[in-house]
Amino acid sequence: MNVAVPVFRRSRTSKVVDRLMRGVLWAIALTFVAVLILFVGAILKQGWPVLNLGFLTKMPETLDAGGGIKPQIFNSIYLVVLSLGISLPVGLGAGIYMAAYAGQGRALRFLRLCIETLAATPSIVLALFGMIVFVQAMGWSFSIRSGALTLALLNIPVITRVTEVSLLAVPRELKEASYGLGATKLQTILKVALPYAATGILTGLVLTAGRAFGESAILVFTAGTNASAQFPDFRLTVPGETLSVHLWYVTSDGTLPDAREIAAGTAAVMILVLLTLNLLVRLVDRAIRRRTR
Amino acid sequence: MPQAPEVSIAAASEGGYPVLEDGLSPAGAGAPAFKHSRLQRLADRWAHLGFLVCSLLVVGLIGGILYFLATRGLAAFLPMAGNTGRTLSFSEVFLSTDWAPSSDRFGILPFIAGSLGVTGLALLIAAPAGVLTGVFIAKMAPAWMRNLMRQVMDLLVGIPSVVYGIFGLTVVLPLVSRTWLADAPASGFAVSALILAVMIVPTIVSLSTDAFESLPAALDEGAQALGSSRWQAIWRVLIPAARPRLLTAMVLGLGRAIGEAMAVQMVIGNNPQWVALMRESTDRAPFLRALFTPAATLTTELVQELPNTAAGSTWNNVLFAMGLLLYLLTMVLILATRRLGRGKEA
Amino acid sequence: MLTPTLPETKPIKLSVRDMAFSYGPKKILDGLSLDIHAERVTAIIGPSGCGKSTFLKCFNRIHEVAADVNVGGDIQIDGVDIYRGGIDVVDLRRRVGMVFQKPNPFPKSIYENVAFGPRLFGVKDRATLDGIVEDALRKAALWDEVKDRLKESASGMSGGQQQRLCIARALAVNPEVLLMDEPCSALDPIATSKIEDLIGELKESLTIVIVTHNMQQAARVSDYTAFFWLGKLVEMDLTERIFTTPRVQMTEDYITGRFG
Ligand SMILES: Nc1ncnc2c1ncn2[C@@H]1O[C@H](COP(=O)(O)OP(=O)(O)OP(=O)(O)O)[C@@H](O)[C@H]1O
Ligand SMILES: [Mg+2]
Repeated sequence: MNVAVPVFRRSRTSKVVDRLMRGVLWAIALTFVAVLILFVGAILKQGWPVLNLGFLTKMPETLDAGGGIKPQIFNSIYLVVLSLGISLPVGLGAGIYMAAYAGQGRALRFLRLCIETLAATPSIVLALFGMIVFVQAMGWSFSIRSGALTLALLNIPVITRVTEVSLLAVPRELKEASYGLGATKLQTILKVALPYAATGILTGLVLTAGRAFGESAILVFTAGTNASAQFPDFRLTVPGETLSVHLWYVTSDGTLPDAREIAAGTAAVMILVLLTLNLLVRLVDRAIRRRTR
Repeated sequence: MPQAPEVSIAAASEGGYPVLEDGLSPAGAGAPAFKHSRLQRLADRWAHLGFLVCSLLVVGLIGGILYFLATRGLAAFLPMAGNTGRTLSFSEVFLSTDWAPSSDRFGILPFIAGSLGVTGLALLIAAPAGVLTGVFIAKMAPAWMRNLMRQVMDLLVGIPSVVYGIFGLTVVLPLVSRTWLADAPASGFAVSALILAVMIVPTIVSLSTDAFESLPAALDEGAQALGSSRWQAIWRVLIPAARPRLLTAMVLGLGRAIGEAMAVQMVIGNNPQWVALMRESTDRAPFLRALFTPAATLTTELVQELPNTAAGSTWNNVLFAMGLLLYLLTMVLILATRRLGRGKEA
Repeated sequence: MLTPTLPETKPIKLSVRDMAFSYGPKKILDGLSLDIHAERVTAIIGPSGCGKSTFLKCFNRIHEVAADVNVGGDIQIDGVDIYRGGIDVVDLRRRVGMVFQKPNPFPKSIYENVAFGPRLFGVKDRATLDGIVEDALRKAALWDEVKDRLKESASGMSGGQQQRLCIARALAVNPEVLLMDEPCSALDPIATSKIEDLIGELKESLTIVIVTHNMQQAARVSDYTAFFWLGKLVEMDLTERIFTTPRVQMTEDYITGRFG
């Protein structure tokens, strides 16, 4: 019974290892900060000389230097809006179903599995699907509508997930209060739960928009690498090259003498847009938090 | 004094929403007898069908993608309608390194190996860095650093593939080539994996931060109350306790890496020259050079060659088979995360 | 100051002088002064939220793991200020063990839980480890129940066994002080009485500070009792006297359940 337990002393190595690992963890974290700063800095620096009003408002050239990216900016926005328009109702509907109707059993687990699979599906695979179905089988060829529909596939799982999570975060008392006043389930969802969850869903939506804005693999194979010569061209049947596709295409195609500059300028524009979106989310988030406090 | 309206709520058996019993009027004495209109009742009764349809659409999509990719991808191996290409055997596609489509040879092993190689390398960097950053954010960093790291990761994850690609192309490749390779080209596994690692780190960081934050505080306190240093508690208690979720984070990071196309396509060189290098090299250590020799992956090959092939040709079919392979891999990975999750409960 | 008057033979192990504590801007403890004697059991009682757990955690500075805290005044162990700069917090925690309100075994085997502490301090030798583990489990009155399943996971044990495992785990690093925060609140009467017996044995060699909501328990196991109210020490005395002839009316009201 009376084994003498020694009086333990902290060894020097244990102290040194602790110090060392704290240092390592700080170093790793700071490395990522540095990588981001370097990254954004390099992209903006390369693009800065190119960025001017002319670049943003001119049509692109096919063989000569000096082209702009006006239609690509338009196509990017147009495709993001269209794809969100398609995916928002589906994502909301599926999210509501999962949060409020699917129960806790197998059905929900299966739905979650599907959503996660869709979310993890590489965009190149979605691109192949869009190409088979919309571009070839439907005969829509490379067009805004093929692109928007396929891009929607990328958004749907994200919106669904955000909707589900935001709805589940609605306090139970709030829902019960609504039922207590005699509201139907649908009324409770639409008039009480969704408004409460709206801010979360909105934030998710902005992030989804950012992702769709940057997507390229899907659009190369569904919306094509050409932009309409008209401006603005709202037709759904014409090809719609976006900024990200343009950036990739001029770089890998190599016919433009100023491909490098154009790519650099486009990249800078995209980074600026995303930084703005990010700031927006943060401001909205902060405003909301202040209001609810 | 008006009575409180008596509305009985049957507690929901599912979903978190209580179900209102039918036929109840919310009106108490003195208030008019409010009733839901017919329309409201109908809407309430049928609304869930609309939501169900949306959900089924998602389920349908999973099946639809599989179906359509299979019709095209399997055409490489099975005689199918509308197929103008040759029917290949599995082994001459999956087990052969000989890729010469114009000479009718379709071994895709170099691309499978390329995908695995570049993904493995990326994960080798991103998994430890991501998990450690996760534990740093959750258990060590002061509040300001936590916030900063969250923002950094949000931004890193938001940067588009093609911008990563252009950065690799215009900054990293020249830099590596100048500093280490005496100006020889640097395209290949090494730089691709580096870029890819930065791209997947946010995924791993955010999932592992969640994993560490959801551990009960009592574990950390218990370890430190015994005299663990900060690092000892992390290494001996927190990381083992969070292991299933950390593995899940890595699997999802792996999924992102293996499916990434554009960024890798812009820096990897798009030609599996490393295979020849490995085969022909006579010295003992060709690995290091292979890292800086052009390579190609399943995804980059799709981006590179799909536009140049005619629908229904053998070449085209094999490319779709590669897409199908990627999709099946996604499914396997997602199922793997389920197993990991179940391991945690057991 | 209200301190016991009986001649005491044991030295002062922990001394607290004019101590104040806050979580960020939130003040929790204020103007606390008391002495805790070695090899005695000191019970802390008081209504919920009055700061008992907080007080306890000040002795091993474990609250610093999870929160942003401010500690003022002076807390000494064997005459050394534990909040002085340069003190090794990790070593302090080795000397001042803690048993938490809810059992918190690590998700490892029973053996690994107890061996965890010695391993931290570099004990690798299997025989030594085995000896320490057995000794600690015996002291925690758990050995006979688990000696045949040391390799099994600790999460499969009952709550009372888990709590005794946590006590064994704490004992395995040979602490000088054992802080116990409502160690029996999650346990049934049988497990509770086992742990109470254990406290009686442990005080032969340890200084024990125990927080409890159970007046009988305080009366049974402790030598001294301190009554806290709203972050202040109301009265501290020999347990006998606190429970028979308290000097402050509020203490009597609290003990007899006529409080508030
Ligand atoms: N991490 C924390 N941050 C801020 N305030 C805290 C924190 N932990 C505890 N408190 C507050 O400190 C006060 C004292 O808490 P403490 O846990 O010490 O009370 P207690 O006397 O142990 O109560 P109980 O008997 O319920 O365990 C409470 O008002 C509590 O809300
Ligand atoms: Mg307490």
